[in-house]
Amino acid sequence: MPAIPIPHVDPLPLPGPVWLFTALLLVVFTLHIVAMNSALGGGIWALWNYIRGHNSAHPYSRRLANELAAMLPTYLAFTVTLGVAALLFVQVLFGNFLYASSILIGALWLAVIPLVMVAYYGFYYFSSSAEKGKGISGCVLAVSVCVLLGIAFIFVNNMTLMLRPEHWLAMYRAHPNGWNLNLADRSLVPRYLHMVNGAIVLFSAILAHLGMRKMKTDTEYGRWIVQRSALVFATCTGVQFLLGFWLLLAIPREIAMVLLRDPLPGAVFGLALMSVISAMLLILIGSLAPEPTSLVHAGFAMSLLTLFLMVCLRYLLRLAYLKPYVNLGALAVRPQIGVIVIFLLLFVGGLATVGYMLWLVVRSGKSRVTAITSY
Amino acid sequence: MLIALVAVMHVFVSHFAVGGGFFLVVTEGLARRQNDAALLAYCRRHSRFFALLTLVFGAISGVGIWFTIGLVSPEATSTLIHAFVWAWAIEWVFFFVEIAAAIIYYKTWDSLPARDHQIVGWIYFVAAWMSLFVINGILTFMLTPGRWIQTQSFWDGMFNPTFLPSLVARTAVSVILAGIFGYVTLPSREAHNHEVREKVARWAAFWMMAGAVVLPLSLWWYFARIPQFSQLYLNGVLIGVRHAVRGGVAFTLLALLIALVCGVWKPNWMRSPVVALLVVCGLGTIGAGEYLREFVRKPWVINQVVYANDIRAAQVEALQSKGVSHTANFLLTEDPASVAYGENLFQLQCGSCHGAGGYRGMQRRVDGWDAEFASDILQHIHILRGTMPPYAGNEEDRKALGGYLASLNPAWHFNITDGNRLEVGEMVFASRCGHCHTVNGNFRPLRGAFEKATPSQVQEVFPALDAMSSDMPKFNSPDDQAQALAFYISHEANKPVLQKQTPAEMPTGSTHSQLVRPPGPRQPAEPRKEVR
Repeated sequence: MPAIPIPHVDPLPLPGPVWLFTALLLVVFTLHIVAMNSALGGGIWALWNYIRGHNSAHPYSRRLANELAAMLPTYLAFTVTLGVAALLFVQVLFGNFLYASSILIGALWLAVIPLVMVAYYGFYYFSSSAEKGKGISGCVLAVSVCVLLGIAFIFVNNMTLMLRPEHWLAMYRAHPNGWNLNLADRSLVPRYLHMVNGAIVLFSAILAHLGMRKMKTDTEYGRWIVQRSALVFATCTGVQFLLGFWLLLAIPREIAMVLLRDPLPGAVFGLALMSVISAMLLILIGSLAPEPTSLVHAGFAMSLLTLFLMVCLRYLLRLAYLKPYVNLGALAVRPQIGVIVIFLLLFVGGLATVGYMLWLVVRSGKSRVTAITSY
Repeated sequence: MLIALVAVMHVFVSHFAVGGGFFLVVTEGLARRQNDAALLAYCRRHSRFFALLTLVFGAISGVGIWFTIGLVSPEATSTLIHAFVWAWAIEWVFFFVEIAAAIIYYKTWDSLPARDHQIVGWIYFVAAWMSLFVINGILTFMLTPGRWIQTQSFWDGMFNPTFLPSLVARTAVSVILAGIFGYVTLPSREAHNHEVREKVARWAAFWMMAGAVVLPLSLWWYFARIPQFSQLYLNGVLIGVRHAVRGGVAFTLLALLIALVCGVWKPNWMRSPVVALLVVCGLGTIGAGEYLREFVRKPWVINQVVYANDIRAAQVEALQSKGVSHTANFLLTEDPASVAYGENLFQLQCGSCHGAGGYRGMQRRVDGWDAEFASDILQHIHILRGTMPPYAGNEEDRKALGGYLASLNPAWHFNITDGNRLEVGEMVFASRCGHCHTVNGNFRPLRGAFEKATPSQVQEVFPALDAMSSDMPKFNSPDDQAQALAFYISHEANKPVLQKQTPAEMPTGSTHSQLVRPPGPRQPAEPRKEVR
């Protein structure tokens, strides 16, 4: 029996080139994280403002909580929808690692499904009851947010564990029935906090962007959103730097060195640092002016760019972790060209169809529609 | 069991997600054409229920299947992913459109113009049905991979022999479920709702009937195209299959009867308990259908590629020659002589379908086995009832697993008297012979071989069983139990039977021989042939 158990690569060839699967994985995972950050970050924002809104001195907080409530189920719906695609493509490239780590934490991994349902129904309940101010609404939202935090913890466990085959056998022998967590990994906690705090950071940027749009119809309320979200964005970005530094110290030294030594990860890391600093400066400068300027939009765009770069960096670090065990370039490939073309055409067609439906909604120009497109 | 639970619930809701979307948009069109505000209000309320059930439970339980199959059958999942990742990617596009359309449809009753709202509804339905279209290809591939086995071509796998009949059957089920769930949001029984309530009740019944007309024809088409070994499972020999067939038919007929009586004839009778019963019938039909679909694929999870215990057919030979301890990645112990190693093998190779106790538990199945018999029978495991794959391990592994199976129960010791000989014989028969044979039944009957034989003549055959056929294990029961067994067989084989059963053909799990054909009732009694 091998000392480090690496499940064999599937005997069937890859049905498409590695670069295509990598590109799709990076794109859909970035979109998944945007949606996830909206659900988790939006949930935290909604909860905070819902609680704060109980005080009549903060009418905007209550209003913001109510408006976010209407959109939280949709954010979660797209978190799941986009997450499915990311799960699909990661299985193609790293399935043998992901299956092994998932089995090791199987009991909790399966718990993700009922937990998502609880959070989802909680969001729906909150969306239908927040405006009426029912006492239990805040509690239900708090439960949903806590459940999402728990799900994030399970995911971070699995995603870190799949990178450490050298720990698998000992874990399996300790708890063969799937009751494991990757708690021995020093990077687990900083990585988890980095993801959760990142959700607040990104949703704050999204909120600042949406606040700017809101200013067109309600200047005072829109400005309040922009300035408040910019403040949270800047504060949490500062915290994100500290957490990122902790994470760098926690990952194995040879992996951390990849960021300094190897040109591609180093360049992506440098660009990500520059873009996050730019995002922070743009959003702060844009929002602190008496009348928030379009620099806020630019800051929001830079935040999205930062997210994409961080997703790329995460992928490159995964390759560094798994370098002793996997060589994607050596995998047999037999592209299913015809189906790939059909997929790409349908993908464009699908986006166009969704765009068309949104256009129908915008065209109708009713007040309720504003709620859909704004938040 | 876990997959079954998640899958049945998901299939139930996801088929409603297809049919229910169709039902909603057609009903909305009807309401608008007839300018029926009450019917439109029903559609609106139904769309809320529809969204809450399908967007949350339907969608998340679908992800649940992903999670579950990855845990239970990673090899099979990996095979499907490598063969059909682009199909799944295409399905995801439709899923994405479906979710977006459902949210917009549900949220824009007040804001979108009627025409635009219906366009969104139709987009939803087309996307949902196309999602079913694609997934249906992957699901049917698992039983009927067709030419894919030779070509490994995506198109051969996708448009396999059962693709079309299964697609029609699933569409029919979707329409039936649309009708069933249509009753869940039936307007209340207040006087002002009387008219719309009757209208919806009859309308939903019409949907159920329409689906029910197509369903049996499509199922007949489907079962005509499944492999021969799968068809043999439907011959009524296996109790689980028999119950599933009868249950599925009964649930469907009961649902249709309720729809006719409480939907068409007396809509006022369609009250909450009746609706709940209808939903249970729908779930029962789906449960029976899914059970049968999964069962007739045994011993495979992907026919001719991966066995139900997630071992590739191509791996079996290597595992049988080298042994599991030299090939497995995860073992709790590396001492093949230990019972712990046997337990570990059980978890690795049997755990997909069996536990020690509980559902398909082995404890009651192996009661009365000793380690030698258990180890020996593992060699012939694919003969048992056709549902088991061949044992994938060497002799050392068989001994370890056999030892573990025998350790699940205390050894049998009887004080056999004339008063209990028949009863003990029956127990020994059930333990040692009953997994593969009956005496007078149609499952590999032994009557032909032992009719007119005395107990001592029967017992004389036992020591030679493994020599008569390579498929038979060595008989090693203690002498007193052998006597009781011989007495029982002789007694049963010589008692008059009202009607002779026709022996049924049964498949085997062997890669090489798909069929075991027992002799017909009038064939000459050649012991070697008769017992098989």
